[in-house]
Amino acid sequence: MTALAETTPSQATRRRTFTREDRLPVAVGLYVFLFLAIALPLGLMSLWSIADGWPPPHVLPQSYTTERWAGVLGDSGLLRAAINSIVIAIVVTVATALIALPTAWAMARFPFRLKRAVEIFILAPIIIPGIVVAVGIGQVFLALGLAYSVAGVILVQIVGTLPLMIRLMTAALETIPDDLLHAARSLGAGTADIIRHIVLPLAVPGLLAGGLMSFVGSFEEFDKSFIVGAPVVETLPIKLYMYLDPYSMQLPLASIVSFLLLLPALVVFVIAGRVLRDDLMAAGMGKI
Amino acid sequence: MTMLEITDITKDYGASRALHPVSLSVAKGEFVTILGPSGCGKSSLLRIVMGISQQSGGEIRLAGQRIDMLPPERRDIAMVFQSYALFPHMTVEQNLRFGLRMKKVVKAEQQRRIAHALDICTLAGLTGRMPRQLSGGQQQRVALARAIVMQPNLLLFDEPLSNLDAKLRDTLRHELVALHRRIGATSLYVTHDQAEAMAMSDRIVVMNAGRVVEIGTPLELYRAPKQAFTAGFLGQTNLLAITASGRTGQLPWGQPVDLATETSGPAQVSVRPESIGIRACDQASGAPATVAGVSFMGASALYTVAVGDTVLKVSQAGGDALIEPGRTVALTFPERLPVLEDRGREDREIEDQGRKDRLRTPEVA
Repeated sequence: MTALAETTPSQATRRRTFTREDRLPVAVGLYVFLFLAIALPLGLMSLWSIADGWPPPHVLPQSYTTERWAGVLGDSGLLRAAINSIVIAIVVTVATALIALPTAWAMARFPFRLKRAVEIFILAPIIIPGIVVAVGIGQVFLALGLAYSVAGVILVQIVGTLPLMIRLMTAALETIPDDLLHAARSLGAGTADIIRHIVLPLAVPGLLAGGLMSFVGSFEEFDKSFIVGAPVVETLPIKLYMYLDPYSMQLPLASIVSFLLLLPALVVFVIAGRVLRDDLMAAGMGKI
Repeated sequence: MTMLEITDITKDYGASRALHPVSLSVAKGEFVTILGPSGCGKSSLLRIVMGISQQSGGEIRLAGQRIDMLPPERRDIAMVFQSYALFPHMTVEQNLRFGLRMKKVVKAEQQRRIAHALDICTLAGLTGRMPRQLSGGQQQRVALARAIVMQPNLLLFDEPLSNLDAKLRDTLRHELVALHRRIGATSLYVTHDQAEAMAMSDRIVVMNAGRVVEIGTPLELYRAPKQAFTAGFLGQTNLLAITASGRTGQLPWGQPVDLATETSGPAQVSVRPESIGIRACDQASGAPATVAGVSFMGASALYTVAVGDTVLKVSQAGGDALIEPGRTVALTFPERLPVLEDRGREDREIEDQGRKDRLRTPEVA
């Protein structure tokens, strides 16, 4: 974050104003990118999910069926898994925020020795593959009796969601100037008042950004939850991955699974887009 | 009646001392300015009075009560910050209300005080705006209003005008003075701008390198400074070495001058450029004084005049024609020149009383 602040002035001098002539190429570029990155795969996925066989020479499938959708959605276990996933994701998000807040506060406000080292230590879980973490933790959880329990799954997921949350919250808290807290104090606010009326409201962009990431991250997390929780705790990803046949390529089923896993991310981001005001969004992206 | 009494406040950062014992008092309703170059410890002192920085020693009394042990929120002091420090997520009105809510002032009283503050800070119509929708001058007025609604025992100002452009600074300075006359709040104001200090204050506290150099009214400090630092910091001056006996002193080139106080031996006087008379004169009596340079400032002309080894600044108001460089001039000095007290090392050593004092003073402004 400090590095970012240092580079800002030079970026400002290089900044060019967006002119009318720029609109067309920028719009064309963005829409082509969106089409290739999102619309095309989604279109193919939806075709695959309802195709009743799609042999190579044909540009479009010859016949369609809704049987597979009916099969997957008709599974009563699916709803249970979805509810499991939602509950776990909410708990993981709240717990992540609570754990991250004090850490981020310390990282943002206090200078201390070896701060860089601590930063890297905090980000370490992102660098190490989830499966490695899961196998290691799985052993420990077995010994502790946390394996195959919802609590165990929640704990192991927090390992994955915490680094990003701390990073985003630190960035948000760093933007609060000291004088603001001093001013609040001089106006009669105690520590609790300052946290409630000043720090938390100003941390909202970071909290929301971190919360969205944590929620989606938890909802879609597979490998760690699978090793710690399966087959007793069934989250939506675990349930959906089980539809996939490990011995043959099942594009139609894979498409349905992808759609279902995409859903929560889509819903959350649409809600976020409505809730977040423009300035808060901008603040979350470090522009203040 | 004394409202604020600061006694022997010190501040140490490790082995280095940012504030040497500083004492000053502010009467009820008085507007006192702490003036000094950046790094002189003036902001540190203000922060200690507010309570957002801890003193290393000394005592602060506000309205007779000791407050140096209290947290800032219980000191009944409001502060206006250089950075305005408005809460960015609150509207103007919410900013003003914040302190009143914290102090649990009843709703009707909140409303009355906010309306009053909005009125005297000319903020009517801006109540619903967010701070970022306001100009710098408006933001500073909101910051001021937010402090005023608290009706504190003491108002602190930490260089509140230094982020504004020159013209706006001028306007707001006048508004501040007018406002102080209206509400009569006891104020302690920190600045490095001598013009600001002179225009606004009842009294000025001149600080340098963590020490109080001199305290006095703007007029006293300008007309008859006791310290060379004060003389040089408040406006322009010529510091001249003299040899004195009684009320008469002799300038380095032999010209006699009249002194305000009886002095003997070598001493130093401060002579303001505008108090020296200058006129072209071909037949110089005594030492030859020649104009080395002239710059025309509009209302006055500023000459640099060389007399022997000494170079003097002389300013002449009005004047129909400029005296050209190279001309010989006659200089006349005013009567009763203030003699500077040579407050040298002895005094400081007594103050420090055996403390190991590094001369290094950290930047703390």
